[in-house]
Amino acid sequence: MRLTDRRFALALIAPAALFLAAFVAWPLLRFVSNGFYQISPIAGGPRRFVGFGNFATAFGSAAFQGAALRTIVYTAIVVALEFTFGLAVALLFAALGSRSAVFRTVFMYPLMVAPVVAGILWRFLLIDNFGILNELLRRAGLLHSTDQISWLSNPKIALFSVALPDIWLTTSFITLVLFAGLQNVPGDVIEAARIDGVRFPTLLFRIILPLLRPVIAVALIVRGIDAARAFDIILIQTSGGPQDSTTTLSLLIYRTMTRNGDPGLASAMGTVYLIGMLVVAAVAIFAIWRPGGDQA
Amino acid sequence: MNGLETRRGPKRVILWGALVAVLVLYGFPFGYLLLTSFKTPLDAIAVPPQVLPSQWTLANYVAALGKEGVVPALINSVGTAVLSTAFSLALGVPAAYAITRYRTPSGRIFVVAALVTRMVPTIAVGAPLVETMRRLGISDTTIGLAIAHTTISLPLSIWLMSSFFEAVPVELEEAAKVDGSDRLQALRHVVLPVVSGGLAVTAIFAFLASWNEFLFALLLTSVRAQTTPIVIANFQTQFGLDWGGMTALSALYSVPVILLTLALQRHIVAGLTLGAVKG
Repeated sequence: MRLTDRRFALALIAPAALFLAAFVAWPLLRFVSNGFYQISPIAGGPRRFVGFGNFATAFGSAAFQGAALRTIVYTAIVVALEFTFGLAVALLFAALGSRSAVFRTVFMYPLMVAPVVAGILWRFLLIDNFGILNELLRRAGLLHSTDQISWLSNPKIALFSVALPDIWLTTSFITLVLFAGLQNVPGDVIEAARIDGVRFPTLLFRIILPLLRPVIAVALIVRGIDAARAFDIILIQTSGGPQDSTTTLSLLIYRTMTRNGDPGLASAMGTVYLIGMLVVAAVAIFAIWRPGGDQA
Repeated sequence: MNGLETRRGPKRVILWGALVAVLVLYGFPFGYLLLTSFKTPLDAIAVPPQVLPSQWTLANYVAALGKEGVVPALINSVGTAVLSTAFSLALGVPAAYAITRYRTPSGRIFVVAALVTRMVPTIAVGAPLVETMRRLGISDTTIGLAIAHTTISLPLSIWLMSSFFEAVPVELEEAAKVDGSDRLQALRHVVLPVVSGGLAVTAIFAFLASWNEFLFALLLTSVRAQTTPIVIANFQTQFGLDWGGMTALSALYSVPVILLTLALQRHIVAGLTLGAVKG
């Protein structure tokens, strides 16, 4: 009986396992191995084994170092702002109770919008001469002319500007997850603290956030991974410009692969990127998730 | 509701005010996109910009849908998403069931592998897949792109479905087995009906993952199988900066899925918060 159970389970798992092996694991292995070759961009062109040559080139190149740094900065901007804003809105919903259900739905709608559309939309809002955002800021008296801030064409602030649609698109996810977590915070704990005259900031930082820790961990890890992989949302806004100020690793790897026609170097860069990602995610999971700890 | 809720009084009024402000701030970008899509092409890029159209027109929609390749791309988007959803459910549901019911060691490895898949940059899988699809004779086809999209949605489906199967009591199947059905029959006639809500959520997420995906579509399609996100992106290069047409096509592409969300929001919230929170 035991054995047939196991066989039955294997038979159910096998198709999915084979699919992922064929279309994820195998391509990924080829991608990593390509990093050790000098490859001609023409399909079926010559391949020459160069060992760690591509990796040395990647680490030595200013473009790669810059893109790696920009990826980290971009991810930090997105996750930090999203978390702050998302938590504030989640607390707002919790404070308003069940009456806010309809509004929670409205707040959720950007999650379904394609990143490409979000990127286009924000580019349209932020564009230099006819962008509505600067016009609204001017009417509100915050700017004296609409060309005062060039969101997407000033290299100093472009990386921040391209992060805005990403924040707009996915803050709802953080809000939803934290709101669900807040539902599970025991009411009597909050009541007791209130009766003891604990002020709200203390309540938030000493009681609520520690209780939400596992939930926060999941939200931050999921969003951090996605922000670090952001591609289309940036590409559509700036194509990596101005002056490469928004070229993150995913854009650089894509450009190296296609436009610069160096698949070997692109694969080496991608491999470093992937390893970095796995290491950071693993550290994050073990550091803040506390595996084996009880979920709230 | 727990102790976080604010009772009546002026504080609550302030909070409602804050909520309205948040929603306006959040609703405005897409609202502006919709409004712009009904402006005349010249109004769309007027300086200074106006929020409301001076005259309402469908000119942008007519122009966008009339452009070569736009309608086929919409059809491709639907086809790819449907096919990819079918692949994900067909492969993911049995696997998720086996993983939760039988707790095989291979199952646990699988869950970790599925999580790792999520961290892989798309290009690392997409670039080699170009070659794979060519060898299989399905480059630039809907089925090829659907397979690529399934690499994203399958791990997600397994993850979601596992949580839904967790909630099904084993006693249900035991009872079915006593009645003389075998394991497959018990799965089909007893377990699946119980998790039908979960199947719907998983299907929605698989569909959306494909519907909104860009990079695989960019790498794996050129002419025949091109999906709408690629066409939207090409609006800037192919036709200069056609903002009117771009807003119309973007609205057309996003409104149906937004409406879908509003209609099925309860399910979607359940899907999004699963795994993060055990309620």
